[in-house]
Amino acid sequence: MSNPVNGHATPAAAPPVLTATNLTKSYGERQVLRGVSLSINRGERVALTGASGSGKSTLLNCLGGVDRPDGGSIRFNGLALETLAADGLTEVRRRDIGTIFQFFHLLPTLTAAENVELPLQLNGVDRATRTARVAALLQRVGVADRAHALPSQLSGGEMQRVAIARALANTPSVLLADEPTGNLDSRNGAIILQLLSELSDETGTALLLVTHSPEAASICHREIHMLDGLIAPRPRKD
Amino acid sequence: MAASTPAVLRILWTRFAWRHWRLAPVSSLLLLLILSFGVAAFFSIRLANRAAVASFENFTGIITSQSDGIITAPVGTLPDSVLAGIRNLLGSQPVELVPVLETSAVRPNPDDRQTIGSRETFQLLGLDLPSLINLANPDTEAPNWFGTATNQPGQPANQFSPVLENPRAVFISEALAERDHLAPGGSLPLIINEHPVSLTVAGIIPANPKQGAAPVNLLIMDLPALQRLSDKPGQLDRIEFILGESPQRSQIRARIQTTLAAAALPGAPKLMISAPNDRQHSAALMTQAFRLNLTILSLLALLVGLYLVFQGLDGAVVRRRNEIALLRSLGVTSSQIQQAWLVEAASLGLLGGLVGLGLGWLGAQLAVKLVARTVNTLYYSNSADFAPFDLSEALLAMTLAVVASTLAGWRPARVAANTPPAQMAGRAGAVNDPAGKYLSQPWLGLGLIVLGLGLTSLPPIRMAGGGRFPIASYGAALCWIFGAGIFAGTLLAALGRLGGWLKGDSVPLTIACSHLRSPGGRHRLLAASLVCAIGMTAGMAILVGSFDTTMRGWIDRTFQADLFISSDGEQTASSPSRISPATWNAIITHPAVQAANVMQVMEINLDGFSTLLIGNHLAFFRDHAQPAWLTAPRDDAVFDPARNAALALASEAFCERFRVHQGDQVNVPTPDGFRPVTIAGIFADYGNERGSLLIEREQFTQWYNNDLAASVIVSLKPGYTNVDALRAELRAAHPGLGIFTSRFLRGESLRIFHQTFAVTYALELIGIVVAVAGLALTMASLLWERRADLNTLRALGLRRRELAAAAAWEGLLSAAAGVLAGLAASLGLGWLLIFRINKQTFGWTLQTDYPWGQLAALAALVLASATLTGWLVGRWAARLPAEREE
Repeated sequence: MSNPVNGHATPAAAPPVLTATNLTKSYGERQVLRGVSLSINRGERVALTGASGSGKSTLLNCLGGVDRPDGGSIRFNGLALETLAADGLTEVRRRDIGTIFQFFHLLPTLTAAENVELPLQLNGVDRATRTARVAALLQRVGVADRAHALPSQLSGGEMQRVAIARALANTPSVLLADEPTGNLDSRNGAIILQLLSELSDETGTALLLVTHSPEAASICHREIHMLDGLIAPRPRKD
Repeated sequence: MAASTPAVLRILWTRFAWRHWRLAPVSSLLLLLILSFGVAAFFSIRLANRAAVASFENFTGIITSQSDGIITAPVGTLPDSVLAGIRNLLGSQPVELVPVLETSAVRPNPDDRQTIGSRETFQLLGLDLPSLINLANPDTEAPNWFGTATNQPGQPANQFSPVLENPRAVFISEALAERDHLAPGGSLPLIINEHPVSLTVAGIIPANPKQGAAPVNLLIMDLPALQRLSDKPGQLDRIEFILGESPQRSQIRARIQTTLAAAALPGAPKLMISAPNDRQHSAALMTQAFRLNLTILSLLALLVGLYLVFQGLDGAVVRRRNEIALLRSLGVTSSQIQQAWLVEAASLGLLGGLVGLGLGWLGAQLAVKLVARTVNTLYYSNSADFAPFDLSEALLAMTLAVVASTLAGWRPARVAANTPPAQMAGRAGAVNDPAGKYLSQPWLGLGLIVLGLGLTSLPPIRMAGGGRFPIASYGAALCWIFGAGIFAGTLLAALGRLGGWLKGDSVPLTIACSHLRSPGGRHRLLAASLVCAIGMTAGMAILVGSFDTTMRGWIDRTFQADLFISSDGEQTASSPSRISPATWNAIITHPAVQAANVMQVMEINLDGFSTLLIGNHLAFFRDHAQPAWLTAPRDDAVFDPARNAALALASEAFCERFRVHQGDQVNVPTPDGFRPVTIAGIFADYGNERGSLLIEREQFTQWYNNDLAASVIVSLKPGYTNVDALRAELRAAHPGLGIFTSRFLRGESLRIFHQTFAVTYALELIGIVVAVAGLALTMASLLWERRADLNTLRALGLRRRELAAAAAWEGLLSAAAGVLAGLAASLGLGWLLIFRINKQTFGWTLQTDYPWGQLAALAALVLASATLTGWLVGRWAARLPAEREE
């Protein structure tokens, strides 16, 4: 099956890795999510678009287990996240979810290699395996020569590559990316999108990409548009 | 038209600074409390010191008006026959003479189990009561003058007849009457000298509206009655003179002073004239060094607090840099930004100071008892148990708080002012780090340590009254503390790297060490503030440990005889209580006594400084006190009564104070002029800091025509082992005597010694508490700044307890750097305290002894507190939503 908009082939007959049903979330009086339902299949790349304040980031946080919805259900590889306690949610994040942020959010006091190594350490991977995996990931994202640099010594593009390597360290089932090119120039943005697309294909990791950018959305198999806390049809450009 | 600077400052304060404080109430409150603790420690010690000195007042002022002058003998007492001579000298001048005898008395000790210095001490004033009528000021309308309602000024003295007929009649203060439910006719049992007496309450001391109410411990008796009771028949301590109201009062006073100072009365010593407040002034001078040392120690908490104020404001600049840049871009000038930050710093000082005054006043009520005990032990009897609020001290503390806080805020204010309008968003590590800039310079640290070394070779400042203040040594201590604080930052980085190597698979340790490998200003300041608190505390522990070891050795040597006997009255270093010759003769001729040393003590003035002259049996002193000689006598002449008439032994404190050495001559004042003695040997003595000069008792008796003993030391015959039975026998025969065994005195001496350090311990504890509170503040501030990182870590799958563990490791390692550098500094500070500050202030040589157990306990306590604090703050931070400050 291919996306009628961008022509990317949707992974055929892949099981859903993440399913959200009728999610609601409010901050005080303000209802941010008003019954959102969606499903993402293994290896699928989905763009989540919408205006500022439409609820994209809140949805991403709920799906990533960083925030809890007020209502509705999230099934992650068949596991109902709402039934998990805080530690259970942390465990899911630790093993199965990779996150990429607009401002990279590398830990400033850790080197590039240490940033990538951290999720592996958290999962109790032994030192030798960690070292090999970090080297391979940095090599793959093209910053092997910057392994011992601190984030403050890296360019924006380099920082986002390291962040991607870190997000992929534990071979997660799903990669959640919040405006990954929003803080990059167009050349670096294009490189990062290419990298995300390739890595998703190589690893079979599902990608949920929050973006305002049509270029970013174009690497995805499909696009979900949000408006006022609901999934809505994508507005026509004309 | 642009808004004026005050208007801009008002906006910056109300719309920005104040709102930031309100948005972060916990950290604002913590910073405020840290500062207020520092101010409170300073204020409480100042109030306690003031109360202890004020309690040594001229009590006659309570009864009479303030006197215009005081006449005394150069040494010892005046014969009361001198009164007539003085009256003749003054002729018809309008002056009233008030003869005074003053002594102390304590409550009896019927159960014989109380510790030394624990009983209430009264000041007993002997006044010529009939003549007091002449002094009643008609303007004061004192109708109840000594309870005689019908009397009028100028009336004959017979209203005192009932009092004069009863040689035990005493007037007490209204406060005592109320507290102990005493009324005229009631009895007040006391020990005066060696005499248990029961005084009869004759009335209440009238309040003098100009002088205030009599203190609770003031008692007044008729002069001849007290002369008899205190074994000083015909003797006066002083004569005060009071002039009538006259426009030429000051000229008359000067004329009288000249006349009296030049007088040579037959049978009387040369008259010494002093100002009425000289006595209190001399009490203040006597304790000046002690009080100054306490005040400086009280500044420790404030110093640690200022590190943290600097840190707090520095952190605030970092947090608010976007806001500052925005304000600059909106047209707020650099100078206005700087002023706004200084106003914020000063406001912090003001608020912290105000809270500190309240806490300090409460603390002073505890501190005054501790200070008073030490003053009692080392200097003079005082009964201070309440420290009144004092406006001048409050203003001083507030000024200190505001100035110090503003100074601490100076550098952050400069950094804030230099924030360019274009500097928006960016991470904390990228901004100017004023604290880090200075604290990451090992050369600066080394320079401070070398400067401190140079300062240790400078002598102390000599103060009026004989006290010495080792200002250069205190400067050296500050240099070493700051220098070690800088090195603590280097150590912090080393610990961060070491932890990194040893971290293994521990994620919390990895995260903690990553923050310490290149420590920023806040980490460095945190370590430096811990160095300050730990360095001083551990340094003091080394001093006290060394003092303790030295004292134990001294006590073991000094208290070798079997029984030590003194009056059961006041038992302070300046006690006027004495034992009569009949009593001490009865004791030393007891069949069980093999040898005895009758000690006589006189306070004398040498070169204007007070010291103690002790008459005793020098050979007994050598054999039974086994003095630790700093300079041993060259031969035995000083111990031979046939050859030691012009020889003396001097304590180390005496030699330090008067800058004399073996072989030097000292001119001792006596009623018949100066008597030269040569110092034959110098011994270590830790009994008093004013110093002691020991001469043979026969000389003392001859020079001062005085046989009253301050104490008697007794050695029993071999085979007489039942010391307790003899003690009980002597107590029964002489119930007014305090009779102590050497075992009891050893324990008591150590107890009193530790008691004198109680204030010190309290101040150190405050310093440590402030440092640990600072650690909490710093960790909270650091984690708040890193909340985006915390969110990232949570997104990566770190559990809350792992985040807390990372913070605990960070707290532990930061504290470890402070503890290690602080302990290293304490070795230097301990040396400085023992061989410079203590030696220069008190003139005591101590044997160095490091209390390793205590130092290890201190380190463990601080490390455990730091770990726990880090963990708690980490738990709090792990719950921080990204968009909220707290």
